[in-house]
Amino acid sequence: MIFNSLTFLIFFAIVMALHYAPFFSWHQKKINLMIASYLFYAAWNPPFVILLWVSTVVDWWAAQWMVRAKREHTRKLWMLTSVIVNLGMLGYFKYGGFLMDNFVSIAGSLGIIYHPPGWDIILPVGISFYTFATLSYTLDVYLRRSKPAGSFLNYALFVTFFPHLVAGPIMRPTELVPQFDEPRQAKANQIFFGLALLTLGLFQKVVLADGFLAPVVEAVYDAQGQLPGMLDSWVATLAFAGQIFCDFAGYSTSAIGVALCLGFAMPDNFRFPYGAVGFSDFWRRWHITLSSWLRDYLYIPLGGNRHGQARTYAALMGTMLLGGLWHGANWTFVVWGGLHGLYLSIERWLRGRFKGFTPGRASILGLALLTFVLVNITWVFFRAKTFAGAGLVLKGMAGMQEKPDPLIAAGPMIIAMVIVSAIFGTHLTMRNTTLEAVIERTPSVALAGIWTMLLFAVIVEQGQGSAFIYFAF
Amino acid sequence: MRGLREGALPAGLRQTAANRPGQAQPVPTRDIPSRPWVRIGTFVFFAVTLLTAAWEWNARANLGLRAGDIDDSPQAWAEQRRLADAAPVAIVGDSRILFDTDLDRFQQLTGIRPIQTAIVGTNARALLETYANDPNFHGLLILGLADLSYFRPKGVGIGGPYLKNFSKADKPSQLTGMWIDRWLQRHLAFMDSDYRLSQWAPRFDHGMRAKTYGPYENVWKISEVFDGRQYFMWDRIETDPYLQGHARHAWNVFKGPPLPPFIARNVVARSAEAVRRIRARGGDVIFIRPPSAPELRSIEDKRLPRSLGWDQLLATAKAKGIHADDLPQAQNLVIPEWSHLSRKCATVFTDAYVRRLSELTPRLKLRTDAPPPLSRADCVQQNIASAN
Repeated sequence: MIFNSLTFLIFFAIVMALHYAPFFSWHQKKINLMIASYLFYAAWNPPFVILLWVSTVVDWWAAQWMVRAKREHTRKLWMLTSVIVNLGMLGYFKYGGFLMDNFVSIAGSLGIIYHPPGWDIILPVGISFYTFATLSYTLDVYLRRSKPAGSFLNYALFVTFFPHLVAGPIMRPTELVPQFDEPRQAKANQIFFGLALLTLGLFQKVVLADGFLAPVVEAVYDAQGQLPGMLDSWVATLAFAGQIFCDFAGYSTSAIGVALCLGFAMPDNFRFPYGAVGFSDFWRRWHITLSSWLRDYLYIPLGGNRHGQARTYAALMGTMLLGGLWHGANWTFVVWGGLHGLYLSIERWLRGRFKGFTPGRASILGLALLTFVLVNITWVFFRAKTFAGAGLVLKGMAGMQEKPDPLIAAGPMIIAMVIVSAIFGTHLTMRNTTLEAVIERTPSVALAGIWTMLLFAVIVEQGQGSAFIYFAF
Repeated sequence: MRGLREGALPAGLRQTAANRPGQAQPVPTRDIPSRPWVRIGTFVFFAVTLLTAAWEWNARANLGLRAGDIDDSPQAWAEQRRLADAAPVAIVGDSRILFDTDLDRFQQLTGIRPIQTAIVGTNARALLETYANDPNFHGLLILGLADLSYFRPKGVGIGGPYLKNFSKADKPSQLTGMWIDRWLQRHLAFMDSDYRLSQWAPRFDHGMRAKTYGPYENVWKISEVFDGRQYFMWDRIETDPYLQGHARHAWNVFKGPPLPPFIARNVVARSAEAVRRIRARGGDVIFIRPPSAPELRSIEDKRLPRSLGWDQLLATAKAKGIHADDLPQAQNLVIPEWSHLSRKCATVFTDAYVRRLSELTPRLKLRTDAPPPLSRADCVQQNIASAN
């Protein structure tokens, strides 16, 4: 089920009615929420609920046995069991075909011809998200950062809680499990603010990402046998920058709004990322829950910045390469991650070289623009399905296409550029504040007018129920 | 309550996991801006209801949209495709056989309601091959084709995602979405995919950038769709000169140089193989070529003469076929935008081709109480009258 579907509206209305029904105990309401979450997930493909169960049960018991273990060796064994089971499932479903293809290619280059049986495995929706969420539970217990959850129901509900289940924000157990300890009932103003956030998220996804930006991106990135020129390549890539933000931030905002309506707090996942000045700033603003997960469970265990320059750069690069691969089983994603790793490394080196440098307003604007442009170059590898496709667009962006084909019509191009400019301008002006702080300063009449227009635009756009891009990750 | 806070926090106090490396993350804080949210929300509810009602009125009064015109979708196609497995007669093809077949008339004449699995803008050969690969289909397949769509050099067209996602179209979320959507479309006229905000907003662009395929080149709304994927021409195309002119303009896509002979040979060979496989299982295939207006027909004939396309196809596949040229009742019918028959003429054409089908195959018999034959006069005069 996806937030931008009619089915979800009915589902959500029923969940709200059950959650606020006076005749259920808090324990029963949690069971209701868990059943609803399983239904939410099963609506895609019922058999994959088994994977959720396996992940839930294995990690619950791994953590339980970890705290009961007397010896460090046993604790490590249980932690490894959890890691192997979770990453094993992720590897099989998400990377099995990719690994097999690469094996066949390498074997072929060595003169060994191998024809494997067809790898026709369907990727379970959101497996990367809930795998990371459950892994953080056993890893936190192993690292003694937190204690195991007090009840199986609370833990199982943490894993399956439908607002974050399939596309994040990637929640840690310490963020959500304690919220299940006490009855959660949002006040009326909290519910209405939650609905406003849900509307904003749907507007971003349905109207901006799917309605206006995706067709412009597809006109170039999905063009068969045509050569994009400089204008088309840049416009399509900028449009994709807008699309991927509106798609993913739209999902996160909707999820936060839905959870808020139920009385739960979920963490920010985006902080006006295109207003970032530099790449470490970008990663503190873009997909915050993933970048912090990678930092806490990969970068720091790899040594972080505690073992000298060379080790730091290696840890940084390794983290970003794996972060790229997390997004998809394709070498283009690895290059995307690698480019970000390279940017971060260069930035780190420059910061060391120019320690006393304090940028003025003009420098901040210039550096923000430079960051945005360089991020856009990485998006080429993220969006293109092949290196050949990425090469074509990059060649176009560099103005090196000899006889380019005009691919994007003027009307959609103008609309897309207005939207992307608005996104970039908003991020730049709001980079040091929060949405909530700005809303608090906005007159109620203006808020009512904006909310009305956003909701009306969603209705008139009649979203076609296309899945969020990040569901595939 | 833990995690929820009234009043917006200053930006510096809104911490995220990015600010807390290497530690267990605490329950996040969601701050609720101090605004009268209940009053704002209530206003929004009434304002949006009012705006939506006005939009619905506009859709009915000015745009000519109707409640009950339900959009086609990959899910709706998959639903019919699954039914086709057990059906005695199924139809595949592109938009012409889709628009030009009146399923009610077909049923009145034969007692059989065919399953409509044609898809607009789609290479019917790809659809034919799905039936050839389907061991469950043993019935009669009526394949309607527009030459330039069927003999296209490559690509499936609009139906590509329909075929690709066929196996996913029966998932619970897909089915419930389709049912709710249909229910709403039976009551609301504005819910029409051709009049989505992002569809009509860019239509100010009438070819502002040369050589691009812009919004004006797209096919806009030309059909209404009813239960069982019954397509008919939208009546505004028959009566509104601007929309009719635009629809004709959109068929510029058919212009181009003659198709290289090897393409026709390849398509014919693959089609013949697909027909052979269906027959080997006890099924059969009959081809139909619905009419097109002379303005379009001249382009089609220049790019692929009948002798190289249609005639070769029937000869190589050893298949029977009905070409509109050979049906006396199908001559000079009303084709408002040059490619698809008017609503009433679709019934006349269906009447004509179904009667011919009953002569070509024992799988279809005319009912003893079948209505009398229709003729051109049954739709042309009515069209003229309605236009006046």
